[in-house]
Amino acid sequence: MKRHILTAAILAGLVVLAVLASQLLGIRLYDRIVTNLCISLVLVLGLQLFMGNSGILSFAHMGFMGVGAYTSAVLSIPAQMKGMALPDLYPFLQGVELSPYLSIAIAGVMAAVVAAVVSYPLMRLSDAAAVITSFALLVVLYTVMTNWSALTNGPRTLFGLPKATDIYLSAFVAILAVIGALIFKESRTGRLLRTSRDDERAAAAIGVNIPALRWRAFVVAALFAGIGGALWGHFITSFSPKAFYLKETFVILSMLVIGGANTVTGAVVGTFIVTIAYEGLRGLEGVLNEAKVTGEPVIGLTEIVLALAMIAVLILRPGGLFPTREIGALLRRRMETRK
Amino acid sequence: MQESTLNAIDVSVEFAGLKALAGVSLTLTRGEIVGLIGPNGSGKTTLINAITGQVRLAAGRVTLGDEIISGLAPRQVALKGISRSFQIVRLFNNMTVVENIEAAALARGDSLRAARTKAEALLTEFGLAARADELGAALSYGDKRRVEVARALAANPSFLLLDEPAAGMNEAETDTLLHTLAALPKARGLGLMIIDHDMGLIMRLCQRLHVLASGRTIAAGTAEEVRRDPAVIEAYLGHEAAHA
Repeated sequence: MKRHILTAAILAGLVVLAVLASQLLGIRLYDRIVTNLCISLVLVLGLQLFMGNSGILSFAHMGFMGVGAYTSAVLSIPAQMKGMALPDLYPFLQGVELSPYLSIAIAGVMAAVVAAVVSYPLMRLSDAAAVITSFALLVVLYTVMTNWSALTNGPRTLFGLPKATDIYLSAFVAILAVIGALIFKESRTGRLLRTSRDDERAAAAIGVNIPALRWRAFVVAALFAGIGGALWGHFITSFSPKAFYLKETFVILSMLVIGGANTVTGAVVGTFIVTIAYEGLRGLEGVLNEAKVTGEPVIGLTEIVLALAMIAVLILRPGGLFPTREIGALLRRRMETRK
Repeated sequence: MQESTLNAIDVSVEFAGLKALAGVSLTLTRGEIVGLIGPNGSGKTTLINAITGQVRLAAGRVTLGDEIISGLAPRQVALKGISRSFQIVRLFNNMTVVENIEAAALARGDSLRAARTKAEALLTEFGLAARADELGAALSYGDKRRVEVARALAANPSFLLLDEPAAGMNEAETDTLLHTLAALPKARGLGLMIIDHDMGLIMRLCQRLHVLASGRTIAAGTAEEVRRDPAVIEAYLGHEAAHA
């Protein structure tokens, strides 16, 4: 970890800067955008922790975000609202009304536990088989969320979560996520898992237990996703299972792929770039529609541009903007060569 | 862990009915260097794969001392103290050179700090200290080979199986490697088995040779004995030469 202190400082500094900028400008819209950015950071860093170290693309991440969001909702919606928000809720949960901060933490653990149980047999798979099963896992989690009405209110919108997430809490958690992802990367588990990412046969030949290490990373990634989901739930205060499915998976993946999945720096930079582009394009879409430049309203500009950006990155720079080294290491190498 | 012999006993391997190895027996003792030679396709690499658990045996067994280790997964064989290198170099390309070597020590249970110390010592021993912070992918071919051997050694193996460690090296590099390898059995108490096509290297390095052709043992003995063996000459140079 010592070697990544500079990286941690720079990346945490970026988050602090974003918060400061929005507060100094005092525009409420910016406050909302930065809070969303910080929540995305937690999710993308969780995905980076698994994908970057294991080399396996996982679609299931958003499913664990959903597990976290619903867990925190069930535990923290005020008792007198539960009759309306979750009419079929099991009696033993009806009186539960935890502090949202406590329930966010429990939500993370819950997502990790679910991941630990369902993923163990999947971690033997590699390459395409692993990607397809992770996609199947997302579908399973989504289906459970839309149908387990007692806990989720089914496909309908669940409302009544206490608003607990503000820009400061989300930024604090995002910085913790940056530090956590860097610590994991340099831990024994992270180091050995990365050998299997680069060459599975050689990793086995030095004695690396690949499925066990992948499983650990997957569980920690789900912990991040669960916390991110709960944070988001207490920010938006009402949502439905649709929020944890394909469109959102695509946005999170594009952030990681554009930035560079192998590095924590890439995850952070990608999240910033895509968030800024996303908000900018949405604004542009609004302006175009208002000015009635075309006969029909402009729809989907944001998604198309993001998809093209992802294709461009994959062609021109397949490893993303930060493919192998963290920002701190890059700066240190540059200083050394200048000497 | 301190077992002193690694034995392949009547080992056979089949690929889709084709016999790649047919009843090969070979013993490697700690402290000695054995050369495994033979024409292309004779089953040398397959034998290393069979010993390290990367291919299934059709018949026979592999033992470490008295313990049967055939049937174990490659990872478990590695943890018994058997390290290997690959014919086509397999480095961890997106990790630095020092991380490559550290990983092998970490996998055997060393602490992060101990692994770093060990890796730095090995880098110096192999003349790679200046390359420590380069990515695996950025190295020259000869350096990659050296890193792979250093990585195998970081696991403190009792037995080290090297598949063409000198391939792609120039003469000076090969010479340096030869001196490093020659010192290993005494210094580290390990048994070393080497596959290589460079007969000069093999003859200078190995006390014993084992010759394969078409998946069978055709000769075994000291370098001098093997060099004169008509079966070996025939396998290498063809039928005519053996009678010339």
